Amino acid sequence: MVIETTIILRLTAAFTTMYLVALGHSVFEKSGILNLAIDGVFFLSTGVTTAMVIPLTWLLTAQGLPLALSATLAALIAGLTTAIIGVFMAWTLTKLPISHGAVGLSLMFLGYGLGIIAGYEVRLRVGSIRPYAYPDSLSVYLAILAITVLIGLLVHFFLTKTALGTTIRACGENPHVALALGADVLKTRLIAGTLGFFIMGVGASLFVLLWQKYWDIKTYLLGYGWLAFTIALAAGRHPLVLIPLALMFGGLVEFSITLQARLGLQADLAKMLPFIAALVLMIIYGSTKLKRIFEPPGSLGKVFYKEERTI
Amino acid sequence: MSNVVLSTSVDTSIAENAENVILSARNISKSFPGPVIALDRVSLDLYTGEILALLGENGSGKSTFVKILYGIYTPDHGEILVRIGRVLEKVVISSPADAMSKGILMVSQVPQLISKLTIAENIALTLTSLRLRGVKSFTSLTKILKIICEESERIGIKIDPNEKVYNLTYTQKQLVEILKAMIVDAKILLLDEALTYLPLLERKRLYQALYKLRDQGKSIVIITHKIPEAMEISSRIAVLRAGKLVGVVNTQETTIDQVRVMMFGEERAKQISYIKMQTISSRGEPRIVVKDLHVEDDYGREIVKGVDLTVHAGEVVGIAGIAGNGQRELLEAIVGLRKMRSGEIYVGNVNVKKKGVKGVREIGVGFIPDRLLEHGISPEESILENIAASTVRSGVNIPWNVIEEISRELINLYQILTPSTRTPVKYLSGGNILKTIVAREIENAKKALVACNPTRTLDEVSAIYVRRKIKEKTVNENLAVLIASEDLDEILMVSDVIYVMNSGRLYGPLAPETPREEVEKLMVM
Amino acid sequence: MLKRKIVPKYYTWISTVASLTLGILVYLIITLLAGINPLEVLVNIARSFISPSIVKDFFVLIAMGCALLISFRAALWNIGGEGQFYIAMIPGVLLTLFIFNPRYNPASAPLVILLVALTGAIMGALWALIAALFRAYLKIDEVPVTLILNYIAYYIVNYLVFGPFKGRYVYGYLRTDEIPEIYRLNVRIYLPMRGDPLQVALQGLTVQLAYYIALLILAVVVYAFTWWFFKYCRLGLYTKIHGSNPSYLQAMGVSVNHTILLAMTISGALIGLTGSMYLLSELGRIPYEIERQTAGYGYLAILVSWLSLLDLKMIPFSAYIVSALRNAGIALQVAGLGGVEQSLLLIGAILLTYSITRFLVEYEVRVEW
Repeated sequence: MVIETTIILRLTAAFTTMYLVALGHSVFEKSGILNLAIDGVFFLSTGVTTAMVIPLTWLLTAQGLPLALSATLAALIAGLTTAIIGVFMAWTLTKLPISHGAVGLSLMFLGYGLGIIAGYEVRLRVGSIRPYAYPDSLSVYLAILAITVLIGLLVHFFLTKTALGTTIRACGENPHVALALGADVLKTRLIAGTLGFFIMGVGASLFVLLWQKYWDIKTYLLGYGWLAFTIALAAGRHPLVLIPLALMFGGLVEFSITLQARLGLQADLAKMLPFIAALVLMIIYGSTKLKRIFEPPGSLGKVFYKEERTI
Repeated sequence: MSNVVLSTSVDTSIAENAENVILSARNISKSFPGPVIALDRVSLDLYTGEILALLGENGSGKSTFVKILYGIYTPDHGEILVRIGRVLEKVVISSPADAMSKGILMVSQVPQLISKLTIAENIALTLTSLRLRGVKSFTSLTKILKIICEESERIGIKIDPNEKVYNLTYTQKQLVEILKAMIVDAKILLLDEALTYLPLLERKRLYQALYKLRDQGKSIVIITHKIPEAMEISSRIAVLRAGKLVGVVNTQETTIDQVRVMMFGEERAKQISYIKMQTISSRGEPRIVVKDLHVEDDYGREIVKGVDLTVHAGEVVGIAGIAGNGQRELLEAIVGLRKMRSGEIYVGNVNVKKKGVKGVREIGVGFIPDRLLEHGISPEESILENIAASTVRSGVNIPWNVIEEISRELINLYQILTPSTRTPVKYLSGGNILKTIVAREIENAKKALVACNPTRTLDEVSAIYVRRKIKEKTVNENLAVLIASEDLDEILMVSDVIYVMNSGRLYGPLAPETPREEVEKLMVM
Repeated sequence: MLKRKIVPKYYTWISTVASLTLGILVYLIITLLAGINPLEVLVNIARSFISPSIVKDFFVLIAMGCALLISFRAALWNIGGEGQFYIAMIPGVLLTLFIFNPRYNPASAPLVILLVALTGAIMGALWALIAALFRAYLKIDEVPVTLILNYIAYYIVNYLVFGPFKGRYVYGYLRTDEIPEIYRLNVRIYLPMRGDPLQVALQGLTVQLAYYIALLILAVVVYAFTWWFFKYCRLGLYTKIHGSNPSYLQAMGVSVNHTILLAMTISGALIGLTGSMYLLSELGRIPYEIERQTAGYGYLAILVSWLSLLDLKMIPFSAYIVSALRNAGIALQVAGLGGVEQSLLLIGAILLTYSITRFLVEYEVRVEW
């Protein structure tokens, strides 16, 4: 009985983390901006979470409030922090005709650095995050799972069925035409940036609070942000398709050890699988009709500029 | 200038209808880096409840003008006034959304729709930004769908709002644009060649819709280069030429010929003493053979509708016509740069469908493209490098000394103004860039030369030199030359055989002595 | 404010210097907010610029900067430098530690070294080719593909080190054996290291240059090759044109796809060559979990290429700057002023200011009120 519960808990944790990060990233990229900062943002969020959750827990438990509350607050603060980066990215890349990739990568480095600064002090004083993270209770995990899936459904509804969501998609496909149709591209992308990066930040904080319950400086080497990037790519940035893919990739990562034992796969081969799967999926889309559904937004990464632009 | 008489009648009509002015553009000027002067102090008034036709050649500035009205460009000088309530107020239109909020909507030749979205989703964007009919950011699309269905019923346009735009034909896309204009309830509608390529039936139907709008007091500006269309539908005609307003006339009071003179300029035909260049040689074998060619343009509509053409060695075939009738696509297809929908093309003995542009280039065909910066040159590279790219076809290393010689020779012959052979081409003026391309291509032409507007933007001297050179090569080296040009003088000057391209079809062949008026008639019908 | 596209000329130098100073400024502000004394930081950074220990990075980054220049000029964004770098080491390990291990099967050292270089280049080329194929035939952007391939390369190398390549003479850490001394490319000279600071510095420099002589030769060779490639080679011209206007290539009848494949492959080959030479000159073995111990040359080289504004002449300059900054980061750690985050922040800040100020070079800003 215990083993099964553990499996559910760990899978849930892996899934919710990866799903939310990939979801937020997808929302942002749907507005047409390439997000190469994802791994840095992921790490920054983990660092901020670590920095926040410990003092918050002390503060709140002293008042008699539950552990889960401080953890949630820490997650939300992390989300707000990353949202600021999202707004910055959206603003500079829409107003100025500069390279999305370059800005993204530079923010990635800054994210690594700032994340280390954020979490370092706290980490020194505290060994394990476990006492401060979400409690190991099935109900808590399931609640978070439910909320995650709910967020996913809401985002899907938002993107496909509301006017604002449609505007976001339009800006990603062809911001010039969107402009001609009357959309305010800047405002739309700022909203996508705030929302997308907030969700990413919250998702990444779950890495610390729900999944690993651990953090150290070397965490930035894991590349889980890129994994989420890959998941989003493979899922065509579709909120619903992301669910099975996040489950699959998250499961692959989480149970690489189990897989190793079962399939006789060495650890690194197991780690490779998600990435290879992504490439295979990309080949499949590229050569078939599926391309249309799963391909990136038409103007993703393109500099927003014509013969003349007014700022 | 022969326009003085016409101006007076306009002045009086303005004075009479001052209260009916809905938009007034005063002294609008606009230039682009180059320097290119697109508009030079253009002033124009628009009245309520009228259809105004804006005519002009390519480069006359008509498109720039409406783009300024729609907020896509900002004028360097001048002001725009729009009637708000009872008063004409000065406004600044900084974006299309801005223009729309003031009741101005533009429909262009190219449907401004996002392919991957559905019709409803596209229209939703406009409705949201204008907050029309209570549509807000979080309004569900189902509600918007309903609104669209109701409107299209009312207007009588049959479309399925859930259809993805990439499935629509060009006609359907334009219909969606018109539908959008009506849903948005614009006060001023700008149609930038929007109807020119629609089939006759659809066009007539849309005219009815436009009349209805006019009767409701809306104002419509139609840009077209088809004078008969302008005569049919408008109440006034404004003509631009080279960025200046030539005049505004009441449609009832003018004729097609008068308008044509306004568009092209009477003096030009008389002042430019063109020397009719004679070719004294018998025609050789057919070198470019085109059979029943159908070609699509960049937006998926058929722009070359079944063309048959033969160009023989030792002759110059000239295609006259106003831009946008398919000449560019025709020539691009002939050299293999554009896929054809159906038909056959042979250049020399190369089957272009099979061998493509590589095969054509290998037998020595020069191509002067219409879109110079797209197909003609690599702007970051120098003249030296550009010539090397087109001349050297084998070997690992580039024999730079040979290329240097060729380059210097061409620079001298064609008087190309450049600081050195190594200056990146993008720093040269437009005219010199063209000269570089022309020089290079004429030199490369061994079997044939295909050119689209080879002397556009060149000064008279250079233009005449180029034409002479082409003629010389045709005669001396038995070249087959096909030229399409918007400059009718040029065609008349150099061609041994004349065709006119209009709406995707080729009319002719006409003898080189054909009177000018006849050719012009075919161009604007 | 209106913006137009006009082309200026000597702005490139100004913008590089400007973005550098701005970047360092931003970095200093961050460190100030983090509670570190910016003056000390600045001193350490300045010192790194004249430290002999940047020699190794300098040569590696010249070679890799040139390699990336080839693909970047073609507008092909080869972010896969890391992957191509390490995947090229695999045949190197295979050849020196297994096939031609001097204990069991000695062979002529020059021959083996040559084979290592060759196979390294081929592996790097193949790894880059994968992304090139994705781009040319599936029209899939090479940025995510090369990134993914980086991770796959890391894990392949890890797997091999954990398994068949596992060191037999190693205790404690998990890694391959040391590459036999006869295959190592270092020249060790001993200097007394005495005298005034300048003399000591020069002696230090000389020792370094000798030790990394192979990398020096590599840098020179790759630089010369790149120079030849762009100046004389027909393919080099096509590569440049692809970055400038691929439609023109098409109009000339040159295969755009072939150009893409060749440019990326050559880029990967040069990186692979660098990787194998680095293995023999510095690394000496491959540790387990390579992604934790990588110097990150693949990413640093991107910075070098960008900072040089895709101009070959500027590569040595930007390689110098980036290696100085990287060592500054290490120096700061050693000085106890911070950890690895210093390098990260420094690089991030400079790259950011560079990306943003870049637009001033190509666009003219007109201000209207």
